[in-house]
Amino acid sequence: MSARRFALRLRAPLAGFELDVTLESSARHLGLFGPSGAGKTTLLELVAGWRTPREGRIELDGELLFDSARGVSLPVRARGLGYVPQEGLLFPHLDVCANLAAGLGRARSRLGDPRALFERVCAVLELGALLERFPATLSGGERQRVALGRALCSGPDALLLDEPLAGLDLALRRRILPYLVRTAEEFVLPMLYVSHDPRELAILCDEVVRLERGRVTAQGPPADVFAAVWRAEALEGAPENVLRGTVSASSADVAQVALTPAIELSVSAAGLAPGARVVLGIAADEILVATARPVGLSARNVLAARVLALDGSRPGVVLRAVLEPDGPSLDVLLTRASTEALGLAPGGALFLVLKSNSVRVLSVLGG
Amino acid sequence: MAGADTMDVLGVTLRVAAGSTALLALPALALGWLLARREFAGKSVLETLVALPLVLPPTAIGYLLLELFARRGPLGSERLGFDPGVLFTARGATLASALVSLPLAVRTARVAFEGVDPRLERMGQSLGLSTRAVFTRITLPLARRGLLAALLLGFSRALGEFGATVIVAGNIPGRTQTLALAIFSDIQLGDTRGALRLVGLCVVFAFASVFVVERLLRRAESRS
Repeated sequence: MSARRFALRLRAPLAGFELDVTLESSARHLGLFGPSGAGKTTLLELVAGWRTPREGRIELDGELLFDSARGVSLPVRARGLGYVPQEGLLFPHLDVCANLAAGLGRARSRLGDPRALFERVCAVLELGALLERFPATLSGGERQRVALGRALCSGPDALLLDEPLAGLDLALRRRILPYLVRTAEEFVLPMLYVSHDPRELAILCDEVVRLERGRVTAQGPPADVFAAVWRAEALEGAPENVLRGTVSASSADVAQVALTPAIELSVSAAGLAPGARVVLGIAADEILVATARPVGLSARNVLAARVLALDGSRPGVVLRAVLEPDGPSLDVLLTRASTEALGLAPGGALFLVLKSNSVRVLSVLGG
Repeated sequence: MAGADTMDVLGVTLRVAAGSTALLALPALALGWLLARREFAGKSVLETLVALPLVLPPTAIGYLLLELFARRGPLGSERLGFDPGVLFTARGATLASALVSLPLAVRTARVAFEGVDPRLERMGQSLGLSTRAVFTRITLPLARRGLLAALLLGFSRALGEFGATVIVAGNIPGRTQTLALAIFSDIQLGDTRGALRLVGLCVVFAFASVFVVERLLRRAESRS
């Protein structure tokens, strides 16, 4: 069993109701989502020490930060957390270099010479060209990168990120997201990540928690929680499957993406370099199902799979299938009639059919 | 002769105003910060006390100082065992000006500190900075313009101080006679040309300092 990374028990007043959260998770990257006003930012501020809970206990990676019962409350500066609030909060009177260096003192006391850390952060987040600029001259995306870099440069034990992509347009989000993924992979830190975008959370987090009116209403792997939310709330459209892979070959308009060494997807995308790691999105209603391997199809992807579960609690049926051998699982949206006609049942073998046009490249993470 | 007099008056005025600004700088910044950033019992009493010199007649303040430093007063030479050298000296004029100028400087400093987003200070703490480092590296530089304006306003107010100064320090040419006092003397003596010349000087000083203060405050505002 892996270590218990997040252990929170918190009560704090919120506008109109009370935040009352009990949460334990061993995920390294824990996502937090829910409607605005649910208390997500408050939760991060409580962990960061910017607010004090009325009562409760906060433990991160085995370190006790707060415990009202034992009168423990580490001061903000001693919590050792890299907090990136939604607005970034860069120091307006300091240039990017000085902003990044603001927390180097702590990094020095923890790591000795922090120069290597500084260089690494600049390299991963590509901040080298911005060092002499002032916050007022940065674009939204640049500001978020600097805010993230400043948090990393302080040598934190964990990251608290509050909607770092909120307020950015779609194109910018797609460009910043890879930096976040790289950060998560390069700096192996526990991360509490607030967002309302299921895709972001599916890409970045091992586990997600849904917060509503100050309470945890769901917790689990992103795909499970989002599928449950989709069912419970009768959301429009279909759940989206988020998969990761590596480009193994590419031609002018089609790339082959290996999900595992044995499972490849054909993706319609231009300009993907072999070796690049990508995040793919596949809507659950764009996947066809066959009980025998179909032939003579225009669709490029026919993937062997096995039924894990069927959920018919909504008008449609959500079928959860795992790709064979040892692949990731996918949700497929079917009608009740076709589920019955095909005689689908848990454990049964089937083939998933996908056009390469139905596979969207959500993010390119680099080589 | 009149030219030399004017230079004397100008010298005393600037020395007194500069000394008064130096004297009130630390208390004004400390009080401004305290009122902007801390909640404590008796805060509104302190607020009122600090504002008091703004509404009390300056002559009343001068009289209080006179009683305080009188030979047998609580801070007089008999009580202290030495002469503090306040009454009828430039030191006294400086002290009186500082006291009268304090409320303006504190108010402006308080507004300057309040203009600094406290979340930026908390961010400093989250990055591991000590309370002192947060103050010197974040709060102080961000409030800089407003604080400068506070000191300049204090200086300007001291330039024109009359009531408290005349009572504590008298009106001694070459020693405690500042612009405001010299104008009064010239009018008393019927020297309208001398008075006008000094008034002209006052207008120039006042205009320059208020102009700079306004610019400082405007830029401080556009930044936050």
